[in-house]
Amino acid sequence: MSAGLAVLSYRDQAPAVAERFQRMKERPVVLDVRALSKTFQSATGPVLALDRISFRAYRRELLCVIGPSGCGKSTLGRIIAGLDSPTGGEMLLDGKAIDGPGPDRGMVFQNYTLFPWLTVRRNVMFGPEVSRGLSAPMAEAEAQQWIDLVGLSRFADSYPHQLSGGMKQRVAIARALANRPRILIMDEPFGALDALTRAQMQSYLLQIWRNVDVTIVFVTHDLDEAVYLGDRVLVLDAHPGRVRELMEVPVPRPRTREQFTSPEFLAARHHLEEMIHPPLKVQAETLPLGRMTVVGDDVE
Amino acid sequence: MGQDTSGTAGRRQRTRGRRPWLRILGTLSPQRRLTLTLLSFLTPLALWSALSYLPFVWHPMVRVADAGDASWFSSGELVEGDAFAEENARIRAAGGHAATGKRANPVFLPPPHAVLSALVTGFTTPPARPDEPWLHQALWHSITIIFWGFVVSSVVGVPLGILCGALPAAARLTEPFIEFFRYLPAPAFGALAVAVLGIQDAPKIAIIFVGTFFQQVLVISNTTRRIDPGLLEAAQTLGASRRALLFRVVVPGVITDVYTDMRVLLGWAWTYLIVAELIGVSSGITFFINQQAKYRAYDKVFASIVLIGLIGLGTDVVLARLGRRLFPWLPSAGVRRRLFFGLRRPARVAATPVEAGEPAAVQAKGAA
Repeated sequence: MSAGLAVLSYRDQAPAVAERFQRMKERPVVLDVRALSKTFQSATGPVLALDRISFRAYRRELLCVIGPSGCGKSTLGRIIAGLDSPTGGEMLLDGKAIDGPGPDRGMVFQNYTLFPWLTVRRNVMFGPEVSRGLSAPMAEAEAQQWIDLVGLSRFADSYPHQLSGGMKQRVAIARALANRPRILIMDEPFGALDALTRAQMQSYLLQIWRNVDVTIVFVTHDLDEAVYLGDRVLVLDAHPGRVRELMEVPVPRPRTREQFTSPEFLAARHHLEEMIHPPLKVQAETLPLGRMTVVGDDVE
Repeated sequence: MGQDTSGTAGRRQRTRGRRPWLRILGTLSPQRRLTLTLLSFLTPLALWSALSYLPFVWHPMVRVADAGDASWFSSGELVEGDAFAEENARIRAAGGHAATGKRANPVFLPPPHAVLSALVTGFTTPPARPDEPWLHQALWHSITIIFWGFVVSSVVGVPLGILCGALPAAARLTEPFIEFFRYLPAPAFGALAVAVLGIQDAPKIAIIFVGTFFQQVLVISNTTRRIDPGLLEAAQTLGASRRALLFRVVVPGVITDVYTDMRVLLGWAWTYLIVAELIGVSSGITFFINQQAKYRAYDKVFASIVLIGLIGLGTDVVLARLGRRLFPWLPSAGVRRRLFFGLRRPARVAATPVEAGEPAAVQAKGAA
């Protein structure tokens, strides 16, 4: 690898970044996924959605999972959360095998899934009450911290339908974190938000994550989002879903949106782009399209 | 070019000022809603008035004023219009004194004002025989029958319906039989109900129960199955046990839809009332209606029917209001007001990092 000045490779890490990865890998492994497979039964026979997926996530890592549509990245998230069961392989959480959903793995869904009949406060209290068996006053105190952390103190007594999309997703994050999970699985959580809100939410997430001891598995299809948020990016291939690469993001932390144009960012993004969106084979010019403009117009 | 745009703008402004009445899935302005609501009642009333007050619309009968030489007419009697004309023709041919009368409707179609006055006098007129109930007693008796039939049905039917919706095993165990049973007409159990439960109110309540219960279980279990599976998954990832899933997610998640179902089912229960009250000792509003029909007091018959409608509609309006109170999380007028109060108080706590745009958006939503 040449560390040339003209073209920066995504593999070139600044010393501080390399040192950070070194330290991260010395931390304990929280999630250990070993040869995880998933086969769906469809009308046309079995379909292999995930093919022997293996990776590890270290404590307090923010791991992004990215891939073309149909690569099974959402299925992977759901399996880790315990909502789907794998057809092969195993998963270890802190060295212990996991099976089925549990409060040690929180999940944030794209469509919020807040309980509409509960206020923001009671939504966040739900986990501590049902899984940790806290009494109502204790659960409320616990919930208050997380509501404050996501900046929604003023809306603690509002109902979900009164909140905007971004606020709902912040409640969903607070609700998942109030359970003190070991890992937080986020399945395209900002996919339903408009671009501006999404950008705000990404920055919020980084802030929250810096203050909380939690490992995040972040499923997305947005390249910028993956590079902006992730320590590492797990790139999946489609049909069947296989691990293509586990890329270390060379962008130093703390991240800011100004880094979107930094050479490291662009190099990492470019590399992801090449893997996920290979150049189209069929060029638009060869498509059998007729001209549908009025004769004599001055277009082009 | 300039002319063109101003023309379009003008047209647009005109259409915005007067929106078409027939817009597919559009919303109606409050005035139009009120107008149409009134029309929905006034149109049938106008039709009825036309039939009653305009002699040329229908009026197939003649109310005899002076019997004249007609042997079988008496003053005040209602006779068929054809027979009246025939008889008069015969009298005239014989050189006699023709009968006179006014065109009228049959006795079973009283005019609106008669029914309206019967609505008022119905409560003040003592019954024709001392052992018969007053109108308000008859109505109250019917309401208690409906109430107990519906309550007994709901106490069993709602939990069973939710359970069937939540647990496929429970659904398989009960629903095939219920599916069969609901096709059996409730009145068919009348004789059996009397044999088992006697002739007073118990068999009537049983008929309401049979008519309501089986539909109730099926409707509510279907409603329960429509719960957003995402809510269950979210609760599972939060560590909810099966018990917590049922009581803290499924039940509150479907309760508003179940409440709406119950309002519909209560309407169905009323349709079984008339049959139920004929069983054993006839009672309630059905007995009252039948007695009035025997006395040919059709104005009172109509008044009773209108009263049933008013009670049904009134109950539903009250239940709808109550629903808004019971379920403050539903986006409705009441909730908006609550939000407004909720926003006023903590507005001073401005140190929290909230995006500038969002509270305004919520406020706007609340004000809308």
